[in-house]
Formats: sequence, C-alpha cells, structure tokens
Amino acid sequence: MPKISVKIDDKDLEVEVGTTVLDVCRANDIDIPTMCHLKGLVDVGACRLCLVEVEGTSKLLPSCTTKVQANQVIHTQTDKLKKYRRMITELFFAERNHVCSVCIANGNCELQDLGYKVGMENVRFPYLFQNCEVDSSHSKFVMDHNRCIMCTRCVRVCSDVEGAHNWGIMNRGYQVRIIADFNVPWGDSTTCTYCGKCVDVCPTGALWNKDATQGSMQKYPQAVSDLVEKREMKS
Amino acid sequence: MNRHDLKTISEQMKTKHGQFKQKVCVCCGAGCLSSGSEAVLKKLQEEVKLKGKENEIEVVPSGCMGPCNKGPLVKVNPGQTIYQQVEGEKVSVIVDEHLIADRPIEKMVLFSDTREKPFINSQEDPFYKKQHKIVLADCGDVNPESLEDYVFYGGYQALDKVLFQMSSEDVIAEIKHSRLRGRGGAGFPTGIKWETVYKYVADQKYVICNGDEGDPGAFMDRSVLEGNPHRVLEGMAIAGYAVGASKGYVYIRGEYPLAIKRFELAIKQAKKIGLLGANILGSAFSFDVEIRIGAGAFVCGEETALIASIEGQRGTPRPRPPFPAESGLWGKPTLINNVETFSSIVPIIACSGEWYSEIGTTKSSGTKVFALAGKINISGLIEVPMGTSLREIIFDIGGGIPGDKAFKAAQTGGPSGGCIPAEHLDTKVDYESLVALGSIMGSGGLIVMDETSDMVDVARFFMEFCMDESCGKCVPCRVGTKMMFDLLTKICQRKALPMDLERLEELAVFVKETSLCGLGMSAPNPLLSTLRYFRNEYEDYVNKSQALAGTR
Ligand SMILES: Cc1cc2nc3c(=O)[nH]c(=O)nc-3n(C[C@H](O)[C@H](O)[C@H](O)COP(=O)(O)O)c2cc1C
Ligand code: SF4
Ligand code: SF4
Ligand code: FES
Repeated sequence: MPKISVKIDDKDLEVEVGTTVLDVCRANDIDIPTMCHLKGLVDVGACRLCLVEVEGTSKLLPSCTTKVQANQVIHTQTDKLKKYRRMITELFFAERNHVCSVCIANGNCELQDLGYKVGMENVRFPYLFQNCEVDSSHSKFVMDHNRCIMCTRCVRVCSDVEGAHNWGIMNRGYQVRIIADFNVPWGDSTTCTYCGKCVDVCPTGALWNKDATQGSMQKYPQAVSDLVEKREMKS
Repeated sequence: MNRHDLKTISEQMKTKHGQFKQKVCVCCGAGCLSSGSEAVLKKLQEEVKLKGKENEIEVVPSGCMGPCNKGPLVKVNPGQTIYQQVEGEKVSVIVDEHLIADRPIEKMVLFSDTREKPFINSQEDPFYKKQHKIVLADCGDVNPESLEDYVFYGGYQALDKVLFQMSSEDVIAEIKHSRLRGRGGAGFPTGIKWETVYKYVADQKYVICNGDEGDPGAFMDRSVLEGNPHRVLEGMAIAGYAVGASKGYVYIRGEYPLAIKRFELAIKQAKKIGLLGANILGSAFSFDVEIRIGAGAFVCGEETALIASIEGQRGTPRPRPPFPAESGLWGKPTLINNVETFSSIVPIIACSGEWYSEIGTTKSSGTKVFALAGKINISGLIEVPMGTSLREIIFDIGGGIPGDKAFKAAQTGGPSGGCIPAEHLDTKVDYESLVALGSIMGSGGLIVMDETSDMVDVARFFMEFCMDESCGKCVPCRVGTKMMFDLLTKICQRKALPMDLERLEELAVFVKETSLCGLGMSAPNPLLSTLRYFRNEYEDYVNKSQALAGTR
C-alpha cells in the first residue's frame, strides 16, 4: 500500500492510503471518543462524537468515515470539539432515561464512561423524559428502550455479521425506535437466532441478558470485532 | 423514429395548429385544477362545438400560468389575454364576446378586480413584465399531455443537436460556459458536477432527477413537472448522453399524483416513438427513465437519502464523501440534479451557454423560479433573472402586501432558510447575497410576512417541521431539534427565562455545526436569522415571562 503524510495534532505521520482518520488516531495513541463506531461493523457516522477539524474544510468531519488524504492537517482536540463532545453526551443523557444507579450495566457502560471522559458534570439541557417501553418478551434477553442511544450497532451486527436481520428502525426524529422484525415483541420474532451478538455490542444497558441484575451485566463488543477479523483472515 | 420523423411531427403540428384561428389554453396546473379548471375546459370545448367553431378555435389544457390564486385561468391566443376566476356564466361570455365577436372583456381579465386599468394583453401587466421565463417559457402554452405539442414548440431539437453535432465534452463545456448552478438549494455548479460524473469510469452510471420538493410552501418543481414534463425528460436524456449514463430515475413525491401521471405519460409517449430507449433517433445512445415515488419525507430530498430510498432502503442520509458522483445509486457514479436544473438544460443547448451566462449576476447566472406565498397580493409562480431585488419581486411583481399592512420579513429557503427584514428589501437575490443575510436561496419558496407576524412563532413553526422531519439518525439533529422546539414553545408560552434563550442559541450553533446532513445543518437557520433581526421579540417574551413570574 502506498503511504501518504498527514499531520494530526502536531504529529507528523506516515499512513497507508485508504485508512480512516479514526484508525490512524487509534494507532497513534490519539484519543477520540466514539459510540456508533465498532471495529468490524460498517461505519455510519451517526453519533458525531468523533468529529474532527480538517484545515481547509469548513465542515467538521466524522473521523470514523473520513479517509485521510495526503498532506492533510487535522485537529482532534480543539476547545470547540471538546465542547461539542460534551454537549453530545449531555444530549444522550437527556434524550431518554439513563438512571445509572438502577441499571444492569452500571459500572460496565460505555455511555457512563463517556460521561466521565468528556467531563460532563451535569446536563444543562431540558430532559425529554420519554416514556419508553421495556420489551421482556424474549426468553433470553431484554430490550429496554429507555437506555437505547440509537447507535444502531445491534442492527448492523444482526444483519451484517449474524445475517439474521431481526433488528430494524422505525419512526423518525426523537421518536425513532429499534424494532424486531416488523415491530413485533422480540419474543415473537421469526428471524432472531438467539445468538446474543446484539447484546454483546450494545454500549449501554439497553440490551441485556434476562438473568442480569443491577450492575452485573458485562458486554463483550470486542468478541464481535475479533470474530469479524478472523473471518476476514480466513477468506 | 429517426431525425427525419421528428421534423415530420413538427411540420404536421404546424399544419394542425395553423388550421385554427385561435388557441384557448385552460390552466390545468394543480392550483387551477383545485379551483375547478377541468370543468371549465370541458365547458369551453362544448360551447365552442355548440357554436360550430371547433375547426376554428382550439381549446387545450396547459400548465401553470403563474398567478395561482386567481384561478381558474384561461388564456386566449393570439393576444395573450388571460381571464381570471373563470366559472359558470363567464365561459359563455368568453366564447360569445371574445372568441366569436372578437371583443376582449376588460372587466373579466387578469387583475381586473385590483387594477384600475387592467391589461388586455397579460404580458404588459407588471406581474409578467418584470419576469423572464426560461424554465417556464412554454409552461401555460404547451399541452403537457401531448408530445406532439411539445415538439411543435421546438421540443427534442436540443437532444437531436446533442446527439448528432456534439460530443459529451462539448455538452459539458456548454453547460460550464452557461455557469448554471444547481437549483435544488445549494447552488453547486452544474457543469462541474456533470464533468465529475463523466470522468469516473464505470460499467454503469445513473442520472437522477430530484423532484421530492418537500419544503412547505414550495411548488416550483411540481408546476414544471405538471406543466412541461417533456422538457425535464429531454434535459435528463441530454445529461445521460453527457455523463455516459444509460438509465435515469425521476424521484417524485407521492403527494404529487398529477405530476406523476403526466410524467408517466411523457415517458410512455417518448418510449413509443423512440425518443427514449435503445438507439435514440437512430444514434448510438440509449437511455431509459423510470419513476420512483417518494412517501413524503422531507429528508428524502437529500441526495444520499433519496438514493437509499430508490434502492429500497430506509431513506436516511449517509456521510459524504463519497459523493454520489463517485459512488451513488447501487455504488455507481450518479448524477443527481433538481427538476429546475434539468429544465434549464434544453434552452442552454438550444440557444447557447454564452446567452444564458449573460442573464443574471456574475456569480449566479440565469433565472430562478420562485413560489410566492403568504401575505402578498398575488401568490403563485414567477420566474425572474438572478439579481432581481426582493422589493421588485414582492412589490412590483407580487403586488405588495394586502390590506395596507406593512411588510415585515421575507422568508426564503423554507425550513432551511431564514427571514430577511425590510431594511434588506433592496438586496439583489442570488446565492451569495442570501447566505450573507443568514438565509439561503433554497429551492425557491418565498413566504411574505406582514407586521402582524410573530417572528418567534415563525421560528417555532419551522423548528417543529424540522423536528418532525428529522430522520433520527444523528444525535444533534434528532435531540437538538426537539429541545429547540421545546424551548421555543416555552418562550411563546411566556415561561422562559434568560437562561433558556442562552441555551437555545448554544444549541442552534451546535446543531448547525455537528449534524450529519443538510437538514440538521440548516434547521437552526430560521431561528438564528430571526434572532439576528428580531431579537427584541424574543427578549420581549422573556421579559414578560419574568414579569409574570413575579405575579405567579
Ligand atoms: C433536507 C434536504 C432536503 C432536500 N430536498 C431537496 C429537494 O426537495 N429537491 C432538490 O432538488 N434538492 C433537495 N435537496 C438538495 C439535494 O441534496 C441535492 O443537492 C440536489 O438535488 C442537487 O441538485 P442540483 O445540483 O441541481 O441543485 C435537499 C437537501 C437537503 C439537505
Ligand atoms: S439497543 Fe443498544 S446497540 Fe441497539 S441501538 Fe440501542 S444502544 Fe445501540
Ligand atoms: S441531520 Fe437530521 S435528518 Fe440529517 S442525518 Fe442527522 S438526524 Fe437525519
Ligand atoms: S463514531 Fe464516528 S460518528 Fe459515531
């Protein structure tokens, strides 16, 4: 692969053509928060946490979907970006009901970690207080829409890795919801294979094992990333 | 069908039209249809027949004539006399007096209710005089359901010229020379877009016509699709030839059944005689067009969402790059342009890029169609050269504000645009000038507001629209529009505190900068522009809430 030079946060780097800005940063110890991104899944650029500033471009660009170009000068830690990352986090918390103290993922939650990372001390924006459903119709898992941040990792892992296409998306705007099949209770799904990959990749306490209790639910998104990597090596 | 046959059709139509002494066009655009023009058309045809004049007087349906709130409109040629609000008895009066006795009826012509001295020749009226019709040139004269009529007006000559006298590079050079910019909103140079698609090497490329037109108050594309569908089709075929695409899609919103029907008919007619399909006019070029019907989501007008929708996926945008020119429909290089953009292609090829580039301003050439609505005397469809001032559009053409009220603001660009106050009425309208004022050209909706309009409520209305239409994919737009709407509601209910106004502004800038697609990026515009020009109204509300809070 031919190499190109880029400058990220004052570091001069030689990188392979076709690499995303995020991958370059991760390989060089530059920390960019992400939520919708998961190694092994197709990137969608939805959470906007990974936005960076590229000199010569007026728009902020998502590092997960943007490929580096020769001689780019990129900034990943400006005051503006830090402020926006904190605001995005605040919006996540205000959108639905994230009551960590009673959540099965308490202590093992990517959203909670994000809050600490971006220095969110309180939420300054009005809570939406949406009244979301909890779907416990499945024999093995539970879906609590109150904790869902619409990262769509579950949708992508189910269709692209498992090939089952159980999860989909319904409605628009702040009323979007993850749905099983054509909006049936998860337990009535005819496509779910009970594999549990969606539960493993879900960053929050939205998807969990039925036997989990407060703070006990561990997630393994890495397992899916590893699986995809092994498959790619084989083919 | 070959080139010779095209000439034959044109000759035949000349002979056919030549038999008639008069041609009566009844506007069958959506506006006039809704006020009953179809019945007027029937009645006119019957009356003419009853008087035994059917071999002298031709009565045909046509597309939009412009002043939609005066419909049903009937135009008599020669003489370009337009009659307004034609219904009931008026039909017989027109037949007896004007058509047979040759005495135009002044008290029934267009604007006879508002002008002291109305014009028998409609084109002398200020409403038409300041307009320059290129896109809408034949709209209102040509029968939108007849390919032969379109050919009579010079139709498919540009396609013929392109296929037999020009290379792809020539066509692109001509479009570049015209300096035409995309009419879908952002104003991207069309020639450069065509060239980019042309340069990608691929086994298959596509051309897409964007007829989604979801802005509230906008009906330009609809009128073009309904009034002169073959013009759009011909423009698409020329584009296909230029970029090397053999397949086109027209994406029309489901709320436009008439546009869909007329476009379907146009495709069928063109296919039947070989103006679409394999080896068009005997050349090596093949091109086919299919319609896709949208389900009315505003976001599906955004190009990547529209492409997803055609592919049968959920209509949500994806990050660009890659742009559709590189990877569009089914991953293939795709040219996507707006209806009005495609409608401007035929005149550019027929006249020249040079001619087109001399109309308008240095940075924005040509003409723009606007849909006038709101507190304005004449609402409807107009086309003016770029660089016409807002004052000319609203007061000279649109006849000013009803009821002696004062003008307050003009809203351009719909939910993605902003409100322009009276002190900027003399701004010459083009892409750059509107952006400088905190608005955008958008697709051409222009809503006029008078002194009674509450600007905070206006901002709230558009925010509600964006909140409802947000696709929900990215967080800033999904949550931010809802929060901004809630805060605006709080302000209107006089419950807001100064802190709320601060939060609102902070959110607006944040959503604009961080959203994934143009919907979120521009959703704060109506809010930001009213804050810029009418901040006092926001502050009044907040101050009142504080006063109220003291008494609560
Ligand atoms: C939310 C949103 C809605 C849009 N709606 C339309 C539309 O209804 N019609 C249109 O032509 N372009 C629309 N656009 C712009 C298209 O994405 C695209 O830029 C345009 O069709 C390109 O055509 P042009 O180069 O001829 O302007 C919209 C963009 C956004 C962000
Ligand atoms: S359920 Fe979990 S993985 Fe799925 S969208 Fe919601 S937060 Fe993301
Ligand atoms: S900006 Fe709004 S409409 Fe566009 S992708 Fe984000 S949520 Fe969807
Ligand atoms: S990680 Fe890039 S947008 Fe979410």
